[in-house]
Amino acid sequence: MNEERKLALFDQTIVPHLNAAYNLAAWLTRNKDDAEDVVQEAYLRAFRFFEGFHGGDGKAWLLAIVRNTCQTWLRREKGTRSVVMFDEQTHSPELAKTNPEGMLLQKFDVGTLRECLEGLPVDYREVMILRELEEMSYQEIADVVKIPLGTVMSRLSRARQRLADCVAARVNGGLV
Amino acid sequence: MRCASSRHLLELHLDGELSAGESAEIQEHVENCASCGGLYERLEQLQSDIRKQVTRHRAPAHLQQNIQVALRKATASEPAARPVRWNWMAVAASVLLVASMAGNIASLRSRNSARNTLAQEVLSSHLRSLMGTHLLDVPSSDQHTVKPWFNGKLNFSPDVKDFASQGFRLVGGRIEYLDDRPVAALVYQRRQHFINLFMWPGPSSPSSGYSEMTRSGYNLVSWTEGGMTCWAVSDLQTGELEQFAQLYK
Repeated sequence: MNEERKLALFDQTIVPHLNAAYNLAAWLTRNKDDAEDVVQEAYLRAFRFFEGFHGGDGKAWLLAIVRNTCQTWLRREKGTRSVVMFDEQTHSPELAKTNPEGMLLQKFDVGTLRECLEGLPVDYREVMILRELEEMSYQEIADVVKIPLGTVMSRLSRARQRLADCVAARVNGGLV
Repeated sequence: MRCASSRHLLELHLDGELSAGESAEIQEHVENCASCGGLYERLEQLQSDIRKQVTRHRAPAHLQQNIQVALRKATASEPAARPVRWNWMAVAASVLLVASMAGNIASLRSRNSARNTLAQEVLSSHLRSLMGTHLLDVPSSDQHTVKPWFNGKLNFSPDVKDFASQGFRLVGGRIEYLDDRPVAALVYQRRQHFINLFMWPGPSSPSSGYSEMTRSGYNLVSWTEGGMTCWAVSDLQTGELEQFAQLYK
Protein backbone atom coordinates (compact mmCIF):
# COMPACT_ATOMS: atom_id res chain seq x y z
CA MET A 1 0.00 0.00 0.00
CA ASN A 2 1.51 3.34 -0.88
CA GLU A 3 1.78 5.91 1.89
CA GLU A 4 -0.85 8.29 0.59
CA ARG A 5 -3.43 5.60 0.15
CA LYS A 6 -2.54 4.21 3.56
CA LEU A 7 -3.01 7.63 5.14
CA ALA A 8 -6.34 8.21 3.38
CA LEU A 9 -7.63 4.82 4.52
CA PHE A 10 -6.35 5.41 8.03
CA ASP A 11 -8.14 8.79 8.08
CA GLN A 12 -11.40 7.06 7.22
CA THR A 13 -11.25 3.99 9.43
CA ILE A 14 -9.16 4.82 12.48
CA VAL A 15 -9.04 8.58 13.00
CA PRO A 16 -12.83 8.89 13.61
CA HIS A 17 -12.46 6.84 16.81
CA LEU A 18 -10.37 9.51 18.49
CA ASN A 19 -12.93 10.25 21.20
CA ALA A 20 -13.23 6.57 22.10
CA ALA A 21 -9.44 6.27 22.22
CA TYR A 22 -9.13 9.34 24.42
CA ASN A 23 -11.96 8.26 26.70
CA LEU A 24 -10.37 4.86 27.31
CA ALA A 25 -6.91 6.37 27.84
CA ALA A 26 -8.27 8.98 30.25
CA TRP A 27 -10.03 6.33 32.32
CA LEU A 28 -7.02 4.04 32.36
CA THR A 29 -4.36 6.64 33.13
CA ARG A 30 -6.73 8.82 35.24
CA ASN A 31 -4.75 11.81 34.02
CA LYS A 32 -5.61 14.03 31.07
CA ASP A 33 -2.06 14.90 30.05
CA ASP A 34 -1.00 11.27 30.18
CA ALA A 35 -4.10 10.36 28.17
CA GLU A 36 -3.13 12.79 25.42
CA ASP A 37 0.40 11.44 25.21
CA VAL A 38 -0.84 7.86 25.22
CA VAL A 39 -3.39 8.52 22.48
CA GLN A 40 -0.88 10.26 20.26
CA GLU A 41 1.62 7.46 20.72
CA ALA A 42 -1.10 4.86 20.13
CA TYR A 43 -2.14 6.53 16.88
CA LEU A 44 1.40 6.48 15.58
CA ARG A 45 1.74 2.83 16.56
CA ALA A 46 -1.58 2.09 14.91
CA PHE A 47 -0.40 3.77 11.74
CA ARG A 48 2.82 1.78 11.77
CA PHE A 49 0.91 -1.48 12.16
CA PHE A 50 -1.94 -0.47 9.89
CA GLU A 51 -1.04 -3.22 7.39
CA GLY A 52 -2.15 -5.60 10.15
CA PHE A 53 -5.66 -4.16 10.08
CA HIS A 54 -7.78 -6.20 7.71
CA GLY A 55 -10.95 -4.17 7.68
CA GLY A 56 -13.75 -4.84 10.10
CA ASP A 57 -14.08 -2.95 13.34
CA GLY A 58 -11.56 -0.13 13.39
CA LYS A 59 -12.68 0.93 16.86
CA ALA A 60 -11.87 -2.38 18.58
CA TRP A 61 -8.61 -2.62 16.66
CA LEU A 62 -7.56 0.88 17.73
CA LEU A 63 -8.68 0.48 21.34
CA ALA A 64 -6.60 -2.69 21.68
CA ILE A 65 -3.55 -0.60 20.74
CA VAL A 66 -4.58 2.23 23.07
CA ARG A 67 -4.92 -0.26 25.89
CA ASN A 68 -1.49 -1.76 25.25
CA THR A 69 0.05 1.67 25.01
CA CYS A 70 -1.57 2.58 28.33
CA GLN A 71 -0.12 -0.49 30.00
CA THR A 72 3.35 0.24 28.71
CA TRP A 73 2.91 3.84 29.77
CA LEU A 74 1.71 3.00 33.27
CA ARG A 75 4.59 0.59 33.78
CA ARG A 76 7.11 3.12 32.51
CA GLU A 77 5.66 6.05 34.44
CA LYS A 78 5.11 4.30 37.71
CA GLY A 79 8.47 2.55 37.48
CA THR A 80 9.23 0.86 40.76
CA ARG A 81 5.89 1.87 42.23
CA SER A 82 4.77 -1.32 40.51
CA VAL A 83 1.29 -1.28 39.11
CA VAL A 84 -0.68 -3.92 40.95
CA MET A 85 -1.29 -6.63 38.42
CA PHE A 86 -4.71 -8.05 38.48
CA ASP A 87 -5.24 -11.49 39.88
CA GLU A 88 -8.70 -12.98 39.93
CA GLN A 89 -7.75 -15.20 42.87
CA THR A 90 -6.61 -12.48 45.20
CA HIS A 91 -9.02 -9.83 44.05
CA SER A 92 -12.25 -11.70 44.03
CA PRO A 93 -12.77 -14.07 46.96
CA GLU A 94 -14.73 -11.60 49.03
CA LEU A 95 -17.14 -11.17 46.17
CA ALA A 96 -18.39 -14.72 46.49
CA LYS A 97 -19.81 -13.78 49.86
CA THR A 98 -21.52 -10.68 48.58
CA ASN A 99 -25.20 -10.94 48.41
CA PRO A 100 -26.39 -9.82 45.02
CA GLU A 101 -29.37 -8.33 46.81
CA GLY A 102 -26.89 -5.92 48.32
CA MET A 103 -27.05 -3.93 45.12
CA LEU A 104 -28.82 -0.92 46.41
CA LEU A 105 -31.27 1.14 44.55
CA GLN A 106 -30.79 4.50 46.13
CA LYS A 107 -30.31 8.04 45.16
CA PHE A 108 -26.79 9.31 45.40
CA ASP A 109 -24.73 12.29 44.34
CA VAL A 110 -23.70 12.56 40.74
CA GLY A 111 -19.98 12.38 41.52
CA THR A 112 -20.31 9.14 43.49
CA LEU A 113 -20.60 6.76 40.56
CA ARG A 114 -17.73 8.38 38.73
CA GLU A 115 -15.49 8.21 41.77
CA CYS A 116 -16.38 4.59 42.40
CA LEU A 117 -15.71 3.78 38.76
CA GLU A 118 -12.35 5.54 38.96
CA GLY A 119 -11.53 3.56 42.07
CA LEU A 120 -12.11 0.15 40.47
CA PRO A 121 -9.03 -1.98 39.79
CA VAL A 122 -7.94 -1.26 36.24
CA ASP A 123 -9.05 -4.65 34.86
CA TYR A 124 -12.58 -4.09 36.12
CA ARG A 125 -12.51 -0.44 35.12
CA GLU A 126 -11.59 -1.12 31.52
CA VAL A 127 -14.37 -3.63 30.87
CA MET A 128 -16.89 -1.27 32.44
CA ILE A 129 -15.74 1.66 30.29
CA LEU A 130 -15.82 -0.44 27.13
CA ARG A 131 -19.23 -1.86 27.92
CA GLU A 132 -21.09 1.05 29.52
CA LEU A 133 -19.52 4.13 27.92
CA GLU A 134 -18.35 2.75 24.59
CA GLU A 135 -21.29 0.33 24.48
CA MET A 136 -19.22 -2.46 22.99
CA SER A 137 -20.36 -6.08 22.74
CA TYR A 138 -18.70 -8.87 24.74
CA GLN A 139 -16.95 -10.03 21.57
CA GLU A 140 -15.56 -6.56 20.90
CA ILE A 141 -14.41 -6.25 24.51
CA ALA A 142 -12.79 -9.68 24.26
CA ASP A 143 -10.94 -8.48 21.15
CA VAL A 144 -9.71 -5.31 22.85
CA VAL A 145 -8.66 -6.85 26.15
CA LYS A 146 -7.57 -10.20 24.63
CA ILE A 147 -9.47 -12.36 27.08
CA PRO A 148 -12.04 -15.12 26.44
CA LEU A 149 -15.74 -14.24 26.22
CA GLY A 150 -16.48 -16.03 29.49
CA THR A 151 -13.92 -13.86 31.26
CA VAL A 152 -15.54 -10.72 29.83
CA MET A 153 -18.80 -11.86 31.33
CA SER A 154 -17.41 -12.68 34.77
CA ARG A 155 -15.29 -9.54 34.96
CA LEU A 156 -18.20 -7.33 34.03
CA SER A 157 -20.36 -9.04 36.59
CA ARG A 158 -17.78 -8.57 39.35
CA ALA A 159 -17.13 -5.02 38.29
CA ARG A 160 -20.82 -4.22 38.58
CA GLN A 161 -21.00 -5.78 41.99
CA ARG A 162 -17.98 -3.82 43.18
CA LEU A 163 -19.40 -0.64 41.81
CA ALA A 164 -22.71 -1.24 43.53
CA ASP A 165 -20.89 -2.10 46.78
CA CYS A 166 -18.84 1.07 46.55
CA VAL A 167 -21.91 3.25 46.00
CA ALA A 168 -23.76 1.46 48.78
CA ALA A 169 -20.85 1.89 51.18
CA ARG A 170 -20.75 5.60 50.49
CA VAL A 171 -24.47 6.04 50.83
CA ASN A 172 -24.65 3.99 54.04
CA GLY A 173 -21.42 5.28 55.44
CA GLY A 174 -22.72 8.81 55.22
CA LEU A 175 -19.93 9.75 52.84
CA VAL A 176 -22.34 11.12 50.32
CA MET B 1 -34.99 -21.56 35.77
CA ARG B 2 -32.95 -21.85 38.93
CA CYS B 3 -32.49 -18.38 40.29
CA ALA B 4 -29.10 -19.19 41.75
CA SER B 5 -27.66 -19.46 38.25
CA SER B 6 -29.62 -16.59 36.83
CA ARG B 7 -27.44 -13.60 37.62
CA HIS B 8 -25.13 -14.13 34.67
CA LEU B 9 -28.12 -14.75 32.46
CA LEU B 10 -29.72 -11.53 33.65
CA GLU B 11 -26.57 -9.62 32.79
CA LEU B 12 -26.30 -11.27 29.39
CA HIS B 13 -29.89 -10.21 28.82
CA LEU B 14 -29.15 -6.68 30.02
CA ASP B 15 -26.15 -6.45 27.71
CA GLY B 16 -28.04 -7.71 24.69
CA GLU B 17 -25.87 -10.81 24.38
CA LEU B 18 -28.69 -13.36 24.17
CA SER B 19 -30.63 -14.54 21.15
CA ALA B 20 -34.18 -13.25 20.77
CA GLY B 21 -35.59 -16.57 22.00
CA GLU B 22 -33.35 -16.68 25.08
CA SER B 23 -34.08 -13.04 25.84
CA ALA B 24 -37.81 -13.60 25.69
CA GLU B 25 -37.44 -16.51 28.10
CA ILE B 26 -35.44 -14.44 30.58
CA GLN B 27 -37.81 -11.53 30.26
CA GLU B 28 -40.72 -13.76 31.09
CA HIS B 29 -38.90 -15.14 34.12
CA VAL B 30 -37.97 -11.66 35.31
CA GLU B 31 -41.60 -10.63 35.20
CA ASN B 32 -42.72 -13.63 37.21
CA CYS B 33 -39.98 -14.03 39.77
CA ALA B 34 -39.82 -11.35 42.44
CA SER B 35 -36.20 -11.90 43.39
CA CYS B 36 -34.85 -12.04 39.81
CA GLY B 37 -37.12 -9.16 38.86
CA GLY B 38 -35.72 -7.04 41.68
CA LEU B 39 -32.15 -7.87 40.80
CA TYR B 40 -32.71 -7.17 37.14
CA GLU B 41 -34.24 -3.82 37.97
CA ARG B 42 -31.17 -2.87 40.01
CA LEU B 43 -28.80 -3.99 37.25
CA GLU B 44 -30.75 -1.95 34.74
CA GLN B 45 -30.76 1.04 37.07
CA LEU B 46 -27.00 0.83 37.58
CA GLN B 47 -26.41 0.70 33.84
CA SER B 48 -28.65 3.64 33.11
CA ASP B 49 -27.18 5.63 36.02
CA ILE B 50 -23.69 5.10 34.66
CA ARG B 51 -24.69 6.10 31.16
CA LYS B 52 -26.54 9.16 32.39
CA GLN B 53 -24.18 10.38 35.06
CA VAL B 54 -20.75 9.38 33.87
CA THR B 55 -19.85 11.27 30.75
CA ARG B 56 -17.22 10.19 28.27
CA HIS B 57 -14.00 12.16 28.22
CA ARG B 58 -13.89 14.09 24.97
CA ALA B 59 -10.60 14.46 23.15
CA PRO B 60 -9.46 18.11 23.16
CA ALA B 61 -9.48 19.74 19.72
CA HIS B 62 -5.74 20.24 19.58
CA LEU B 63 -5.15 16.50 20.03
CA GLN B 64 -6.62 15.72 16.65
CA GLN B 65 -4.46 18.39 15.05
CA ASN B 66 -1.35 17.11 16.78
CA ILE B 67 -2.08 13.59 15.62
CA GLN B 68 -2.74 14.68 12.05
CA VAL B 69 0.51 16.61 11.95
CA ALA B 70 2.45 13.76 13.60
CA LEU B 71 1.01 11.24 11.14
CA ARG B 72 1.94 13.40 8.21
CA LYS B 73 5.41 13.88 9.52
CA ALA B 74 5.67 10.12 10.05
CA THR B 75 4.57 9.52 6.45
CA ALA B 76 7.01 12.08 5.16
CA SER B 77 9.98 10.68 7.02
CA GLU B 78 9.52 6.97 6.48
CA PRO B 79 10.44 4.63 7.98
CA ALA B 80 11.02 6.49 11.22
CA ALA B 81 7.47 6.61 12.56
CA ARG B 82 8.27 7.71 16.04
CA PRO B 83 5.94 9.56 18.37
CA VAL B 84 6.45 13.24 17.80
CA ARG B 85 7.70 14.92 20.91
CA TRP B 86 8.17 18.63 20.88
CA ASN B 87 11.42 19.42 19.25
CA TRP B 88 12.15 22.35 21.48
CA MET B 89 15.15 23.43 19.46
CA ALA B 90 12.99 23.72 16.37
CA VAL B 91 10.34 25.59 18.31
CA ALA B 92 12.97 27.90 19.73
CA ALA B 93 14.33 28.49 16.23
CA SER B 94 10.85 29.32 14.97
CA VAL B 95 10.30 31.69 17.86
CA LEU B 96 13.56 33.41 17.05
CA LEU B 97 12.54 33.66 13.43
CA VAL B 98 9.19 35.16 14.32
CA ALA B 99 10.91 37.49 16.74
CA SER B 100 13.45 38.56 14.13
CA MET B 101 10.60 39.08 11.71
CA ALA B 102 8.83 41.27 14.20
CA GLY B 103 11.96 43.39 14.03
CA ASN B 104 11.84 43.24 10.27
CA ILE B 105 8.24 44.37 10.23
CA ALA B 106 9.30 47.61 11.87
CA SER B 107 11.87 48.28 9.17
CA LEU B 108 9.45 47.27 6.45
CA ARG B 109 6.88 49.69 7.78
CA SER B 110 9.42 52.43 7.58
CA ARG B 111 9.65 51.68 3.88
CA ASN B 112 5.92 52.05 3.85
CA SER B 113 5.31 48.98 1.78
CA ALA B 114 1.90 47.47 2.33
CA ARG B 115 2.84 44.55 0.14
CA ASN B 116 5.93 43.71 2.12
CA THR B 117 4.02 44.00 5.34
CA LEU B 118 1.47 41.58 4.00
CA ALA B 119 4.22 39.18 2.93
CA GLN B 120 5.56 39.36 6.43
CA GLU B 121 2.13 38.64 7.88
CA VAL B 122 1.77 35.68 5.54
CA LEU B 123 5.12 34.28 6.58
CA SER B 124 4.46 34.81 10.29
CA SER B 125 1.16 33.05 9.91
CA HIS B 126 2.87 30.16 8.11
CA LEU B 127 5.49 29.82 10.83
CA ARG B 128 2.98 30.05 13.65
CA SER B 129 0.94 27.30 12.04
CA LEU B 130 3.96 25.01 11.84
CA MET B 131 4.88 25.61 15.45
CA GLY B 132 2.17 23.12 16.15
CA THR B 133 -0.36 25.21 17.93
CA HIS B 134 -2.78 25.68 15.10
CA LEU B 135 -2.20 24.13 11.70
CA LEU B 136 -5.63 22.71 10.98
CA ASP B 137 -9.21 23.41 12.01
CA VAL B 138 -10.50 20.87 9.55
CA PRO B 139 -8.02 18.05 8.94
CA SER B 140 -9.09 16.28 5.77
CA SER B 141 -7.64 15.31 2.44
CA ASP B 142 -11.10 15.51 0.89
CA GLN B 143 -11.82 18.80 -0.86
CA HIS B 144 -15.55 18.10 -0.51
CA THR B 145 -15.12 18.08 3.25
CA VAL B 146 -12.84 21.08 3.47
CA LYS B 147 -14.80 23.44 1.21
CA PRO B 148 -18.17 23.16 3.00
CA TRP B 149 -16.40 23.54 6.36
CA PHE B 150 -15.79 27.21 5.52
CA ASN B 151 -19.53 27.82 5.00
CA GLY B 152 -20.80 30.36 7.47
CA LYS B 153 -17.30 31.05 8.77
CA LEU B 154 -16.29 33.34 5.93
CA ASN B 155 -18.28 35.68 3.73
CA PHE B 156 -16.89 33.96 0.64
CA SER B 157 -16.36 30.39 -0.46
CA PRO B 158 -12.75 29.48 -1.20
CA ASP B 159 -11.91 27.33 -4.18
CA VAL B 160 -10.57 24.13 -2.65
CA LYS B 161 -8.59 21.88 -4.98
CA ASP B 162 -6.56 18.78 -4.43
CA PHE B 163 -3.44 18.00 -6.41
CA ALA B 164 -2.48 14.73 -4.77
CA SER B 165 -1.77 13.17 -8.15
CA GLN B 166 0.69 15.98 -8.88
CA GLY B 167 2.36 15.49 -5.52
CA PHE B 168 0.65 18.33 -3.62
CA ARG B 169 -1.70 16.68 -1.19
CA LEU B 170 -4.48 18.59 0.54
CA VAL B 171 -4.14 18.14 4.30
CA GLY B 172 -6.89 20.43 5.56
CA GLY B 173 -7.79 24.02 6.24
CA ARG B 174 -8.31 26.64 8.89
CA ILE B 175 -9.32 30.26 9.31
CA GLU B 176 -6.58 32.86 9.57
CA TYR B 177 -6.57 36.59 10.07
CA LEU B 178 -4.58 38.48 7.45
CA ASP B 179 -4.75 41.84 5.78
CA ASP B 180 -7.19 42.96 8.50
CA ARG B 181 -9.76 40.31 7.69
CA PRO B 182 -10.50 36.61 8.18
CA VAL B 183 -9.16 34.55 5.29
CA ALA B 184 -9.19 30.92 4.22
CA ALA B 185 -5.99 28.97 4.80
CA LEU B 186 -5.57 25.69 2.95
CA VAL B 187 -2.72 23.41 3.90
CA TYR B 188 -0.96 21.20 1.39
CA GLN B 189 1.87 18.81 1.78
CA ARG B 190 4.64 17.86 -0.63
CA ARG B 191 6.98 15.27 0.83
CA GLN B 192 7.84 16.64 4.26
CA HIS B 193 7.12 20.24 3.28
CA PHE B 194 3.93 22.07 4.14
CA ILE B 195 2.41 24.80 2.02
CA ASN B 196 -0.02 27.34 3.43
CA LEU B 197 -2.28 28.81 0.77
CA PHE B 198 -4.17 31.89 1.94
CA MET B 199 -7.01 33.36 -0.06
CA TRP B 200 -9.52 36.13 0.27
CA PRO B 201 -11.60 38.18 -2.17
CA GLY B 202 -10.36 41.25 -3.94
CA PRO B 203 -6.95 42.49 -4.93
CA SER B 204 -5.64 44.10 -1.79
CA SER B 205 -2.99 46.16 -3.48
CA PRO B 206 -2.60 47.70 -6.92
CA SER B 207 0.30 45.47 -7.87
CA SER B 208 -1.57 42.23 -7.90
CA GLY B 209 0.01 40.22 -10.71
CA TYR B 210 1.93 37.03 -10.11
CA SER B 211 5.01 37.63 -8.04
CA GLU B 212 7.57 35.72 -6.06
CA MET B 213 9.69 36.68 -3.11
CA THR B 214 11.95 35.13 -0.54
CA ARG B 215 11.83 35.99 3.15
CA SER B 216 14.02 34.46 5.83
CA GLY B 217 14.67 31.46 3.60
CA TYR B 218 11.01 30.86 2.83
CA ASN B 219 9.46 31.30 -0.58
CA LEU B 220 6.27 33.22 -1.11
CA VAL B 221 4.24 33.59 -4.25
CA SER B 222 1.13 35.65 -4.74
CA TRP B 223 -1.36 36.10 -7.53
CA THR B 224 -4.96 37.04 -8.16
CA GLU B 225 -7.42 34.79 -9.85
CA GLY B 226 -11.15 35.24 -10.32
CA GLY B 227 -11.25 38.22 -7.99
CA MET B 228 -9.38 36.37 -5.24
CA THR B 229 -6.04 37.28 -3.77
CA CYS B 230 -3.91 34.21 -3.17
CA TRP B 231 -0.67 33.83 -1.26
CA ALA B 232 1.24 30.58 -0.99
CA VAL B 233 4.17 30.16 1.35
CA SER B 234 6.48 27.24 2.00
CA ASP B 235 10.06 26.18 2.49
CA LEU B 236 9.80 24.39 -0.86
CA GLN B 237 12.12 25.52 -3.63
CA THR B 238 10.84 28.37 -5.76
CA GLY B 239 10.36 26.09 -8.77
CA GLU B 240 8.12 23.68 -6.90
CA LEU B 241 6.10 26.43 -5.28
CA GLU B 242 5.67 28.02 -8.68
CA GLN B 243 4.47 24.67 -10.03
CA PHE B 244 1.89 24.60 -7.24
CA ALA B 245 0.75 28.13 -8.04
CA GLN B 246 0.42 27.27 -11.74
CA LEU B 247 -1.74 24.27 -10.89
CA TYR B 248 -3.98 26.44 -8.79
CA LYS B 249 -4.42 29.22 -11.29
